[in-house]
Amino acid sequence: MLKNDNNIDLQSKANQLRLDVVQMVHRAKDGHPGPALSIADIIAVLYFKELKIDANNPQWEDRDRFILSKGHACTVLYAALARSGFFSIDECRGLRSLGSMLQGHPDMNKTPGIDMTSGSLGNGLSLGVGIALAAKYRKKSYTTYVVMGDGEIQEGIVWEAAMCASKYQLNNLILFIDSNGWQSGDSIEQVSGLLPILPKWQAFNWHCQTIDGHDFTQIINAIDQAKKSPQPSVIIADTVKGKGLAYMENDNSWHKRVPDDEQLTIALKTLGGDVNE
Amino acid sequence: MSNYKGTREAFSQALIDLAQEDDRFVFVSADSLKAMRATAFAEKFPDRYIEVGIAEQNAVAVAAGLASCGLIPYVGTYGGFITMRACEQLRTFVAYPGLHVNFIGINGGVFGGEREGVTHQFFEDLGIVRSIPGITVVAPADAHQVYQAVKAISKIDGPVYLRAGSGREHVVYDQETPFELGKIRVLGKYGNHAALFANGFILYRAIEAAKRLNEQGIQVTLVDVHTLKPIDVEGITAILQDCGAAVTVEDHNIIGGLGDAISKVSTEHCPVRIERVGLQDIFPSSGPAEEVADYYGMSVNHIVDAVKKVLQRK
Repeated sequence: MLKNDNNIDLQSKANQLRLDVVQMVHRAKDGHPGPALSIADIIAVLYFKELKIDANNPQWEDRDRFILSKGHACTVLYAALARSGFFSIDECRGLRSLGSMLQGHPDMNKTPGIDMTSGSLGNGLSLGVGIALAAKYRKKSYTTYVVMGDGEIQEGIVWEAAMCASKYQLNNLILFIDSNGWQSGDSIEQVSGLLPILPKWQAFNWHCQTIDGHDFTQIINAIDQAKKSPQPSVIIADTVKGKGLAYMENDNSWHKRVPDDEQLTIALKTLGGDVNE
Repeated sequence: MSNYKGTREAFSQALIDLAQEDDRFVFVSADSLKAMRATAFAEKFPDRYIEVGIAEQNAVAVAAGLASCGLIPYVGTYGGFITMRACEQLRTFVAYPGLHVNFIGINGGVFGGEREGVTHQFFEDLGIVRSIPGITVVAPADAHQVYQAVKAISKIDGPVYLRAGSGREHVVYDQETPFELGKIRVLGKYGNHAALFANGFILYRAIEAAKRLNEQGIQVTLVDVHTLKPIDVEGITAILQDCGAAVTVEDHNIIGGLGDAISKVSTEHCPVRIERVGLQDIFPSSGPAEEVADYYGMSVNHIVDAVKKVLQRK
């Protein structure tokens, strides 16, 4: 279903996703809220505006594909799928529980709307390359979107995929890099020699853009520009880890941490949602 | 009738034959087109030949992406580079979602990479893939069986690892011998003093050993266990019950491959004495293939001695 409604209140949608994330992690007593909140605005744009998907037909052959390579941020994806109608929001209560459709990381065989199993970092782009190549071969017009963390592009397979996408001129492949500057252990700068990111993608002949990953207009425009490019596109989205909750923002201890009752209450007040316990 | 000379050529011919019938078959290469003898495939089906370069992890993950969209990829390169370098991609993104990707690992065993040394001798591949849930594991003995096995695995739904050779395999079967996935094949039944289980390109040595033993009055039942997983429990148990002792012969570390697989069936269904001929959990050296196999305990004499040893303990 193509979303032509330009009046969608993306900020409200993103706030809802953020609140869902905090509630899921609080309820499960486990999960990664910081990395989920940093991509909430990108996910809101994708799921409530851009993606050609049909909640009533998750396996629709012509659907756009989405791969959350940084699978540890899956709570925000689960929230988006639930809020898009792929399954009931009640399913989110089962996050990380035995027998639940919502696994600790995305699972294409258990969760409607998940196009690719993911979570082991670095692999999402290669998987997306395969899907985008299949579209070329099958002469399908769908677009494949991948979201990776800036930390995970330290994995070597990412650059194998970058090379391959460029070789095959996969203009139907759009990669978001969630550039929040943090990874599990510490800042990107402290842990690795990755920076600067942009010239590396330029050197691999990708169409490159850098945007504010919390500005809906910039996200939407960047996707439009990416679709016009004859090359595979990377959108380096500068983000704030834990964005939306002051106590989480840029505090890397929230990479994997459970909000207590008081912190949940603050989230409810800040994000303006309903208690969905 | 199809024309090929070694296991790699047989793979290539089978893939071409498959591709002519069904446009879902694609080949993913990690700079392995020539190694796989698949140049003719690429020429006939250029849009179905995906070359990712020397990047096996990417090759396997790309194949997962292709398979998720309904295509049926064959990924072919040296077996160790699939099962070791790209092990995680194979396990997590192909096997876990249960996608149908066919992996063809060439130059398996010390026969495959003998001159290149340990970096190119892959004798853990079958053990690695056997331990991954849901993968079909096949080790055919010669080109004719590879040709048929490549076609057989095209029809199943799920991941497959097929071990092929270097092109120097001995011919064991004629072209018409059928290949039945998941079933053992009794190659020779001289008698029931002991069972001799073998697979892969070393099978010809087991055949020679069985003949030699027969000349010495020791009559074995010789069995090809080309499908290691799922293993033919019923067929193997029946042989074990009949013979009461067994020797396994494999061009693989004795840990993780055929010897372990037969031992497991025996332990659970028919406990008998078993001797395992294969690489004895050590790193081998470079050298001519036959010499390397002889030196590391996989000669015809070693097989004969193993049968005699197991009979003494029967």
